[in-house]
Amino acid sequence: MKSRLEILLIIALFILLQALLSNFVNFGPLVSIAVYPLLILTFPSKIPLYQKLILSFLLGLGVDYTGGYTMGINSGAAVILSFTQPLLIKLVVPHSELYKGSRAGLFELGIVRFAYYVVAGLMIHQASIELLENFASIFTFQSLLRFFLSIFVNSLIILLTEFGIFYKNRG
Amino acid sequence: MAVKKSVKPLLAGVLTFLILEVASLFLMANDSVVHKIRIEGAIAFIQEKLFNAHSGISYYFSLKDINEQLLKENTRLINQLSYYRTLAESHDTSMIVKQPDNDSSDFTYIPARIVGNSINHMHNYIIINRGSKAGVKEDMGVISPEGVIGVVRSVSENYAYVISLLNINQTVSAKIVSSGVYGPLTWDGRSAQYAVLSEIPQHIPITVGDSVVTSGLSSIFPPDIPLGSVRKSRIVMGSHHQIQVRLFQDFRRLYFVNVVVNSNKEELDKLTGEYEE
Repeated sequence: MKSRLEILLIIALFILLQALLSNFVNFGPLVSIAVYPLLILTFPSKIPLYQKLILSFLLGLGVDYTGGYTMGINSGAAVILSFTQPLLIKLVVPHSELYKGSRAGLFELGIVRFAYYVVAGLMIHQASIELLENFASIFTFQSLLRFFLSIFVNSLIILLTEFGIFYKNRG
Repeated sequence: MAVKKSVKPLLAGVLTFLILEVASLFLMANDSVVHKIRIEGAIAFIQEKLFNAHSGISYYFSLKDINEQLLKENTRLINQLSYYRTLAESHDTSMIVKQPDNDSSDFTYIPARIVGNSINHMHNYIIINRGSKAGVKEDMGVISPEGVIGVVRSVSENYAYVISLLNINQTVSAKIVSSGVYGPLTWDGRSAQYAVLSEIPQHIPITVGDSVVTSGLSSIFPPDIPLGSVRKSRIVMGSHHQIQVRLFQDFRRLYFVNVVVNSNKEELDKLTGEYEE
């Protein structure tokens, strides 16, 4: 019960953080800032998949509402990322049973594996956003530029956030 | 020792994923007109693909019946060819020359395939894969080798909507071959196998098994298109027969049809219209 409340509180904090970044930091039309994928990627593996999906949906819905996005875009992308997260863990960490029950953070995976994990997750998330926004192929010059720039910027922000909030305060 | 993994959590996950994605699409469609149009376009595209796949699969599994139909049609054509050969060999040219003057020379046919067919309602319809591009127009008749199928009601570029004979509002002018007496044939909305021929005077003798064909008294269908055979009859209002006709055409096994084009239809309709006014 306590851990559930903690998760809901963290979700609210991430929605707030995302709203602040979306509304007050302007990187131009070629970069869409998304810090909330960090929370989806680091959901503890002990949470059942369907609960992770519902929590991701609520998180995405909050981001849509507070960030002024079309309702449903971030929630749809968040659900796709959450659905593929267990597969990503298996790809990045072949013996994932070592981390059973825990969150897949910087401390648990190490910097290299965590960086791979975040970049792979952000690729899925950004591709989902582009597909849901345009309902068409993302392989146009502008879309590809936005795709790679967003992944680069968001990877840096997420790594810094993970290091600053979760890694340093661990223990 | 092998660890048994339950499938239920995965199924619950997949189900939740699908529900939440649909919910997201629904939210997007409600929030933005552009997304609504794109989503509706995507749904229409998927529906079209599924419909085509379904149609293709049904078509594949019905090839046996189609072969039988083609065989029958082939037999009919061979018989016709044989008839004309006999006439040619007997040097009786008068009958060959006579043929072009026959009413049926006014009619040509556009072959079409059934892509939609309903038989379980009171107002059944059929969709065929030929439209205005192929020359199909409203009020053209549709027939198969086994009988009358219906009348074209509306036409798009590539498809036509046909009011089926199995529609309580559809009437075809029919005649009994043995007596030559004609009356309207309509479907009573009960069985897809039977239709009702009415307004046949009481004094006309009716025999079970008599053939019923189109009368040719309309500009829609040529004469002598087979419809069915007399199954039973009863006297109604003490004045005329009401005849139950067993239809030759099984509407559940309908794949290929011909749209009837009457080259004189406009002229005939115009003439009739002038007198009716």
